[in-house]
Amino acid sequence: MGVMKKIVALVALALLTIPAAGFAQEALPPLTISAAPRAQPIAVSALKNLGGDDDHTVSETFGKVLKRDLTLSSFFRILDPASYIEDPQNSGYDIGQFNFGDWSSLGADYLVKGSVTRDGDTIKLEALLFDVPQQRRVMGKKFTGNPHDVGEMARRFADSILQAATGTRGPFDTKLAFVSTRGGRFKEVYTSWLDGGGLFRVTDNPTINLFPDFDRDASHLLYLSYKTFNAELYLVNLERQLETRINPGLGQAVGGALTPDRQIVAAYERGGRTNLYLLTPEGSMVRELTDSGPINVSPSVCPAGGQFVFTSDRSGTPQIYAASLDGGGGKRVTFKGSYNTAPAFSPDCKQIAYESREPGGFQIYVINLDGSGARQLTQSGSNEAPAWSPDGRYIAFSSNRGGGSRIYLMRARDGYVIAPLTEGHGNESNPAWSWWMGG
Amino acid sequence: MNRIQRGRGGWVAEMGGFTRAAGIALVVIGLAIGGCSSKQKNAGEGTGNNPNQLGEGGLGGTGGNSLKGYQNGTMGQNGPLGDIHFGYNDATIRPEDNDVLKANADYLTSHAGARVQIEGHCDDRGSEEYNIALGARRAQAAKDYLATLGISGDRMSTISYGKELPLCTEETDDCWAQNRRDHFALSQ
Repeated sequence: MGVMKKIVALVALALLTIPAAGFAQEALPPLTISAAPRAQPIAVSALKNLGGDDDHTVSETFGKVLKRDLTLSSFFRILDPASYIEDPQNSGYDIGQFNFGDWSSLGADYLVKGSVTRDGDTIKLEALLFDVPQQRRVMGKKFTGNPHDVGEMARRFADSILQAATGTRGPFDTKLAFVSTRGGRFKEVYTSWLDGGGLFRVTDNPTINLFPDFDRDASHLLYLSYKTFNAELYLVNLERQLETRINPGLGQAVGGALTPDRQIVAAYERGGRTNLYLLTPEGSMVRELTDSGPINVSPSVCPAGGQFVFTSDRSGTPQIYAASLDGGGGKRVTFKGSYNTAPAFSPDCKQIAYESREPGGFQIYVINLDGSGARQLTQSGSNEAPAWSPDGRYIAFSSNRGGGSRIYLMRARDGYVIAPLTEGHGNESNPAWSWWMGG
Repeated sequence: MNRIQRGRGGWVAEMGGFTRAAGIALVVIGLAIGGCSSKQKNAGEGTGNNPNQLGEGGLGGTGGNSLKGYQNGTMGQNGPLGDIHFGYNDATIRPEDNDVLKANADYLTSHAGARVQIEGHCDDRGSEEYNIALGARRAQAAKDYLATLGISGDRMSTISYGKELPLCTEETDDCWAQNRRDHFALSQ
């Protein structure tokens, strides 16, 4: 690569910002989240201060994040803390040290109690889940960390509560990447925790930035940018704060996705034809994945590896196809509708969520990999860019149902829309959902 | 491979020096949902497609790159080269645009130093990613056409902006038709 080209790239890469320093009081965006029908009542008591949390900062942060996540799960509704009878600072927090009657009288099915010790920057936090009607301790977790980690302790405990109550680990120790115009009129890439905490602006260039995608441990983020006035893919190492410009010499980048081991499935256009290629994390070609039809775009890789799905118009209209990362062909999955695109592989790689063009906009469907069992999940507004939770129970998507475009959360099984995940500052689109951050 | 490191003040290039982007807070663009697709039978082939209407609108302007035009508020202002337009989810040059392409070719022939970047654009009814690929087909179609008129390929480049840089945001046939376009940006 020429020196000038390199300098141009480096200057463009410099237009990225640092995150605002976060501390114990983790900010969550104010979102209106209604309890789902038939959600189970749960009480989340303040943590008993065993020393060092006299201002209750840790307890309040833990409680705030835990309540947000449990409500977003749609399995639980939080009982109003104003109704709680027991003073957690003057009672015990483990079985036999408090009165279940104080909680059963509120109608609680479940109860969260716990304790915190803070010594400088070291937080020791124990959280316990109780089954109130059965007067039984269901499970408990002990966490140690610094004040930055309290939100993540709550997210992991929320995941454990869903594991205990539903048999499947919850999806809250995860991150969302998305595109937003909240900083002005240009599309920029952001990341946050699923619940909105820890907002981090990844790009800051007044051009166009699109299609973020995480690798397996969410240490890296792939996105498309016009920041050099060419369309190119970039792979950001979020932990080491390094960025690689992907430059395989295949033409104009159209989009891409990461495999679990951080290879890149990338769409490049040359001569009017857009094809998919498998690239190394550095951008070297491994193999061509498609070579038919004018357009092959929107790859989504099976989280277990091996397969990917994509959109091709080789039949004359945009339809969903599945193929192997080893190369070779592609099997058509969708046949109904004249415009199906933006496929997303479910975590078990047995289903595909996608958007289908209908009068008035796009609606999100889920279909089995073999093409059977298509079901429509959304009805109102125009709904795009589905992204699965790692536990397979939820889908994040963008929708204009509330006016401007925002990211929403729905249940994959029935399309119940739980809540917006973003505040709607500017227009928000292109959600990507990470794997669990804690492994 | 290009790598950068991020210091306290922002992402820092290896070669030293860093830039923090100036805050740019302006009008929020309406985000378009939808695409360049093909069920709207009356879209694209009807009215509102006069390829010269933008240039004749008294806007003047430079006819430069649309992304730069979006940055500085001059997008949509045409210079000596006219835009052409397309049907829904289609990248075929329409007969009524032949004269525009011939005029563009004549200009390039008589300005031997001029280079052109052909930009493909889409209406907002397709998905974002598919539309970038569709816009690329539109740009390539014009490049191929100009090549048949004798313009050397090394004076032409293509780029697609998909549906990212609409000239208008109304959900009407006329607006969609305006946005399904190739723009010819002169450089040098």
